[in-house]
Amino acid sequence: MIATSRPTIWEHAQSRGVSRRDCLSACAWMTAMLGLPATAVPEITKALETKPRLPVVWFHFQECTCCSESFIRSSHPAVADIILDKISLDYTETLQAAAGHQAEEALHETMTKYKGEYLMLVEGSIPTAANGVYCCIGGRTAQDIVQEAAAGAKAVIAWGSCACNGCVQAAKPNPTRATPLHKIISGVPIIKVPGCPPIAEVMTGTIVHLLAFDRVPQLDGLGRPKAFYSRRVHDTCYRRPNYDAGLFVNSFDDENAKRGYCLYKVGCRGPVTYNACGVMRWNGGVSFPIQSGHGCIGCSEANFWDNGPFYHHLPSFPGFGIETTADNIGLAVGAATVAGVAAHAVVTNIRKRHLIREEMKTSEDVKDGRAEQGGE
Amino acid sequence: MQSTSLGRVYVWEIPVRLYHWLNALCIVVLCITGYLIGQPLAIQQASEASFSYWFGWVRFIHFVAAYLFLFNFAFRIYWGFAGNKYAGWKNFIIYRRKQLKEIKDVLAVDILQADNKPIETIGHNAMAGFTYFLTFLAFLFQCLTGFGLYAAMSKSWFAQLFAWIVPLMGGDFAVRQWHHAFMWFFILFAIVHVYLVFYHDYVEGRGEISSMGGGWKFIDKEHHPVLKKQDSDKAGPASAANDI
Amino acid sequence: MAAKRIVIDPVTRIEGHLRVEIEVKDGLVADAFSSGTMVRGLEIILRGRDPRDAWAFAERTCGVCTTVHALASVRSVEDALGIVIPPNAELVRNLMFCAQYMQDHVVHFYHLHALDWVDIVSALKADPIKTSEIAKSISSWPKTSPNYFAEVQKRIGNFVASGQLGIFAKGYWGHPAMKLPPEVNLLAVTHYLEALEWQKEIVKVHTVFGGKNPHPNYLVGGAPCSLNLDEANAINAERLALVGKLLAEAKTFVEQVYIPDLLAIAPFYTDWASIGGGLRNYMAYGDLPKNGFGDPSKFKFPRGVLLDRDLSKVYEVDGHDPRQVTEAISHSWYEYSDGDQAARHPWEGETKFNYTGPQPPYEQLNVEGKYSWLKTPRWNGHAMEVGPLARLLVGYASGNAEIKAVVDMGLKKLNVPVTALFSTLGRTAARGLETILVANWAQEFYGDLLANIKNGDTRMFNGEKWEPATWPTKARGVGLTEAPRGALAHWIVIEDEKIANYQLVVPSTWNASPRDAKGQRSAYEASLIGTPIADPEKPLEVLRTIHSFDPCLACAVH
Ligand code: HEM
Ligand code: HEM
Ligand code: NFV
Ligand code: SF4
Ligand code: SF4
Ligand code: F3S
Ligand SMILES: [Mg+2]
Repeated sequence: MIATSRPTIWEHAQSRGVSRRDCLSACAWMTAMLGLPATAVPEITKALETKPRLPVVWFHFQECTCCSESFIRSSHPAVADIILDKISLDYTETLQAAAGHQAEEALHETMTKYKGEYLMLVEGSIPTAANGVYCCIGGRTAQDIVQEAAAGAKAVIAWGSCACNGCVQAAKPNPTRATPLHKIISGVPIIKVPGCPPIAEVMTGTIVHLLAFDRVPQLDGLGRPKAFYSRRVHDTCYRRPNYDAGLFVNSFDDENAKRGYCLYKVGCRGPVTYNACGVMRWNGGVSFPIQSGHGCIGCSEANFWDNGPFYHHLPSFPGFGIETTADNIGLAVGAATVAGVAAHAVVTNIRKRHLIREEMKTSEDVKDGRAEQGGE
Repeated sequence: MQSTSLGRVYVWEIPVRLYHWLNALCIVVLCITGYLIGQPLAIQQASEASFSYWFGWVRFIHFVAAYLFLFNFAFRIYWGFAGNKYAGWKNFIIYRRKQLKEIKDVLAVDILQADNKPIETIGHNAMAGFTYFLTFLAFLFQCLTGFGLYAAMSKSWFAQLFAWIVPLMGGDFAVRQWHHAFMWFFILFAIVHVYLVFYHDYVEGRGEISSMGGGWKFIDKEHHPVLKKQDSDKAGPASAANDI
Repeated sequence: MAAKRIVIDPVTRIEGHLRVEIEVKDGLVADAFSSGTMVRGLEIILRGRDPRDAWAFAERTCGVCTTVHALASVRSVEDALGIVIPPNAELVRNLMFCAQYMQDHVVHFYHLHALDWVDIVSALKADPIKTSEIAKSISSWPKTSPNYFAEVQKRIGNFVASGQLGIFAKGYWGHPAMKLPPEVNLLAVTHYLEALEWQKEIVKVHTVFGGKNPHPNYLVGGAPCSLNLDEANAINAERLALVGKLLAEAKTFVEQVYIPDLLAIAPFYTDWASIGGGLRNYMAYGDLPKNGFGDPSKFKFPRGVLLDRDLSKVYEVDGHDPRQVTEAISHSWYEYSDGDQAARHPWEGETKFNYTGPQPPYEQLNVEGKYSWLKTPRWNGHAMEVGPLARLLVGYASGNAEIKAVVDMGLKKLNVPVTALFSTLGRTAARGLETILVANWAQEFYGDLLANIKNGDTRMFNGEKWEPATWPTKARGVGLTEAPRGALAHWIVIEDEKIANYQLVVPSTWNASPRDAKGQRSAYEASLIGTPIADPEKPLEVLRTIHSFDPCLACAVH
């Protein structure tokens, strides 16, 4: 894939004094993290021993840079090991030394020299309203830049909810028409790593998978790595026994909250959110939103911003107050229906009383005359 | 109007009646358990979580009722082809001008309180038939969204058949929201439906209420040419009736 | 000699999309234009939503200074609704605040700013033994063996030799303005790597209390985590011990790595103590309450404004006063309903896009007209610099003993007068000096929290005004705080349970904004005037001053 005259990842590690044994144990560890069987250890080891560093360009568009921030929180592999030893991060506005023309030169050098070989990472959404003037870099629109770069990329990773779903800037009314990456580019594999931001080790884990196996990890129907997005937060939540037992926090910091009961009734989106928070947790496994007492807000799901209010199980009904849910409306309509039915019954009685009385009379007649049909 | 000669018609066969009551039961159970899933009771304190499982049971009952509901519904569709003509699928789809006219008449009588007209239909009137058609669509929708959600919680191959629905509808949150909102359709339907059954029984006096028990309805022969003919032929009521 | 227009876009090693255009004349910057080139419209998006949800939207303004917008947001709602949070929640917020400062400032120093002063390539020529000697002479930090530095040197050497320079490609190596000896360069590069490892530890304070970082959870009325010493599911002794350890380690890192490095590098660049001063006005909203947010007199960082660099008079700042803070858009791509020359208080603020710039691709902005997505904030009509320097100057001028002590210590070590602070170097030094304070205060707040719990107070949340039914139909509030980059405030108008207006005026908006209708420059533009440029093709000097503000453009525009 890439000219082998450059040192491989293994040679690189070796030259900085990493022993082969260390390297092997790191590989075994990585294999376990990726959820692969032990038989894959030789494969991953071989991969790291024979590959030169993959050229990578990282774009920033409409974003808050939390994905970059999350990335540098990775504890395994550590971020310095990735950017110094595993990949060649040739363009990333947040960290690179060069600015302005020099930065653009670095980008173009990689794009021409490694055409068809580089990995493209995208953080942020792309505005398409007003000809793209809502995000310009070096005088060019994000849309323009991303299309040019995608044409020569080997694969693309969409970092975070911004690049995957548009995230906060795409929330109603989406004033800049912020658009997720997959709606802008085509013809190149896109791996979606949603989350606001995604967990650090999910980000680096996805890159490690690409590096070690030289192929895109198995993706689900929405293009997310199965390894990290196949389960709902709710399915791996340690508070789940409380949910099943019907033990719920009713308001923040109540007795039940102090006991760590389930946060469902204060709006937890765990039951409708696919992410690895419950299993991997955040920042080296310290905690995750639910463990720290706040419900999941669904940050890895499309449109989660418009599913508010966050502290209600049901969203509010557009056009009404924030407390108006489908249930409030259903109850109101139900009450109206009962009232309508009652009114109808009364009116019917008045309006058709005469008719029915007559009918009753006839049936008396029938009874008296032992109706010809012989009935009972 | 003179109800002098009432004919007895066997309208609802046993399978339809069984279906009806099982369906009614499932819907009541699904609405109650579904509402609880959406708005669990606020229990302040209890024993350790591992000693109780009430919410798990609520959900379990919801899922069991869901399976019953689905297969019962599937059976009813089958019976729409296999059962008698009162049960047939043609009752539910408005495709003849006569049905449209009947809808107008029913609305005039029931809502605008016009004077009763001679009733020609024996099974569902066209209005009722069409409403049930809408309920069937709601059944379908509720089954699709319900099993779509269930796919994420179940490893069974059957539930997996519905996994495609969730991404199509924009994620679990949206699907749950729709599923929840549609519960209200069922509640409103039940209120109006039960009322109308009593209303028709009261106003028309044809044994509407008991028909879902024993299967029989009572029809005014004077106004019903077929029954009249049938009467004179002394044939079994249901077998002779056609083209209504 | 005619002025030459130089464009730097993208400005890198910052957050967000900043474009700087400068006019260079006779080797000096004659004029400067700062432009934010990306907008999202968060103020528009926030309208109509539940005020209790606002913090989550607002927090996504920025993932670098994550948490600070959430804090400003919950405070704005609490101000509008008259909610007073329990002391524990205030302390938890303070601890998260301190953790944010330590992480953000250290990352700024090593990963965003250092490469303006440190030459990676020169580090390859260093003698690791000498580096080790320097390291031992300035700090008691244990990792100082010659071998250790030799290893790092080898690692960087191999990296460079591989021909794939990654993030270091096309840097300004060998630039005449680079002054550090190779040994100090090697020391800094080594700590660049160490700091990268370290920064992911201190943020765990956010993870404990807020569940994750970036973007931990906040809560209107308190903090979402419950305290229960007898429960594994809550903040208990183990969780508190983890926080204690993280804060202690952070303090050690700040004291033994960051500050010694800062003080070792600064003497080589004292010429920068007279470059890049810019504006003469400084503003701080103040923060870190010792006695609840309602009592600004007990803030660790005092509140106030200094005009014309006069340290003898501190003016009062009031976010509720409709005349004090205003925003103008005469050079910003927005329109106001009463004309683009108007200035509006944020409660009456408007956000409506009106792009009038050149159609992309473009070479140059039309700086005569509108040229940025940032609005231009003013205090009583004055342009203000905000940030670490402003905080320390306001504290110094207020006679705050703790702040005075640390500033005087810094000035003494560098052997410069207090006026040297009004500069690029002063700004970078102030950031370090305040980190010492913050690291100490974190210890104090941690102690306060433990003491409070020991006294039996475990409240974390005040739910009295949680239900919208308890709210007035109309309410207005402002949430003030000090973000790492300076004075930050969110203004909210609540009507019928929903957000009717929401306006953010952010530190980088103050500093990086375009000029106002009167032609007054904001901090970035003002600070660049007169900066010497050795090589217009490699405008390293511009980066130095711009980076000294620690730009965050996602914040500034939002
Ligand atoms: C009359 C029919 C039904 C009604 C009225 C009904 C009602 C409801 C309601 C109100 C909820 C709560 C939703 C929420 O607030 O989140 C719910 C949840 C659910 N329902 Fe139904 N439902 C019906 C049929 C079904 C069917 C046929 C299935 C198929 C399996 C199903 C599966 C589910 C599932 C999986 C959930 C989510 C449970 C959980 O996450 O714990 N439902 N239902
Ligand atoms: C939750 C409660 C109920 C539900 C969901 C329900 C549902 C239905 C449905 C779907 C049908 C159409 C049956 C078919 O043709 O397959 C139907 C018909 C009917 N139901 Fe119910 N039902 C409920 C309660 C009742 C009750 C309480 C009664 C009487 C006491 C009743 C009496 C009838 C009758 C008489 C018909 C035939 C009516 C006609 O065709 O006009 N139902 N019901
Ligand atoms: N400017 C700015 Fe921020 C900060 N500090 C926030 O208010 O960086 Ni993202
Ligand atoms: S996904 Fe969320 S966290 Fe990441 S850049 Fe977008 S707004 Fe920030
Ligand atoms: S806290 Fe949330 S994710 Fe956990 S069990 Fe409860 S509802 Fe599910
Ligand atoms: S809010 Fe996001 S971080 Fe995880 S627990 Fe929920 S997906
Ligand atoms: Mg603003």
